[in-house]
Amino acid sequence: MMKGLWDRETVALMLLAAYMPLALFWIWFGGGAALATLWIAVLCLAFWNFVFLLARAQPPSVAAVVTALAIAMLAPEGLGALRLVLGISFGVVMGELVFGGWGRNVVNPATVTLSFLGFGFPGYGWPGFDDPVVWAAFPAALIGVATGIMPAAVLGGALLVAGAALVLGAPVAEVAPAAWIVLVLLVVDPVTSASTSLGRWLNGGAYAGLVVFFATGWSGAAPVQMAIAAALLTSLATPLLDEIAITLWIAKRRRRHGRN
Amino acid sequence: MTARTAFWTTLTDPLIRQNPVTLQILGICSALAVTTSLATALTMSVSLTVVLTLAAGVISLIRRHIPDTIRLIVQIVIVASLVIVIDQILQAYFAQISRALSVYVGLITTNCLVLGRTEAYARYHPPLPSMVDAFGNGLGYSLVLIIIGAIRELFGRGQLFGHQVLPLADAGGWFTPLSLMLLAPSAFFLLGGLVWAVRSVRPEQVEAPEFAPPPRPEAAE
Repeated sequence: MMKGLWDRETVALMLLAAYMPLALFWIWFGGGAALATLWIAVLCLAFWNFVFLLARAQPPSVAAVVTALAIAMLAPEGLGALRLVLGISFGVVMGELVFGGWGRNVVNPATVTLSFLGFGFPGYGWPGFDDPVVWAAFPAALIGVATGIMPAAVLGGALLVAGAALVLGAPVAEVAPAAWIVLVLLVVDPVTSASTSLGRWLNGGAYAGLVVFFATGWSGAAPVQMAIAAALLTSLATPLLDEIAITLWIAKRRRRHGRN
Repeated sequence: MTARTAFWTTLTDPLIRQNPVTLQILGICSALAVTTSLATALTMSVSLTVVLTLAAGVISLIRRHIPDTIRLIVQIVIVASLVIVIDQILQAYFAQISRALSVYVGLITTNCLVLGRTEAYARYHPPLPSMVDAFGNGLGYSLVLIIIGAIRELFGRGQLFGHQVLPLADAGGWFTPLSLMLLAPSAFFLLGGLVWAVRSVRPEQVEAPEFAPPPRPEAAE
């Protein structure tokens, strides 16, 4: 215990534990096909982590399993192994491993993979989710927030904006289940979500705002597709949101104390 | 003998060692825009190489007479005149490709690669070395364009120069086109991958790191 309990792998394992209810319900309803997709994703991720371990001495992370789960759950249906492996290789290498592995990436590798698959193979349908799987995301989020690995403020910001949209009568009922699962699986990822308090509220709000925007204006897109596009754009904007929060904090300090 | 070696170095240096696109990241706007097919990439490469070589020759000829204060205007006027000639030739003899290239031939005028070479090299060197240097840079640009154009057309449509190379799944083959390859982001990814590959082979091109990572905790103890 020289370095304490909370290192990177503890966070990854807690994240995995938090996603267990969601994963188990999804496998229960998806059956063998779901397991096969998950297995391909895990193998492909393990291979690339191993390559970067040998080439750049980057320690692999258990978080790869979490990424694999997110990819397997949200990937377009009927892609086949070859296209799935192509998409995962691109997303994981370009989204995470070239930056130095899990913890140093700017965008979630699962988000990059899914966007790549969506743009690259537009002919394939996006998955839908059974109601119990959607409900299973609640205990997942609860465990994540209770153990402190998922930022509660991101969830709070997203639910606040979603609630406001619901009150104002935006047509979000159809997109809500998929958006909720994407929020829990991709957006609240502890690495790529915002890391300041205000930034987290803005992060969640931006995600929900984009989902509502797509739901009202983007005709012909599947709910999961809208949610993933929103997640990608949000994760690209996240450093900016953190920057805004820090700038505001510095300005406030300067007003109070007359200096930095 | 030494003169010949110098010419040879001037010509071959910009191919990989000093490649204007992968090392200096110049002229990438057009490199990204026209590489959806090999035919347009090749036409663009030839047009740019011709314009660059002739412009370098002309500017080098009058390099002692160009006033420093208006040198950019003079250079752009020369480049623009050459571009208009090339554009007219393309419209006359290769109407289809000219339509596919749309404004990008005209935009050779503002291509940073052209102005970069005339400004950095042709203004200080006699016509022959200038033209050799410009031709070499044109070839380096062409090399990158053709590589990226070939990859994008092959994986985006399964074709090369419009001939079906990989049998499409729609027509009974096995290849499903990757539509992403025909969109602009894929050119960024491919160019990034190409730069990465070149710099892995030639580590001297790698830029110095901007930040040093913090020391690891176990090392500090």
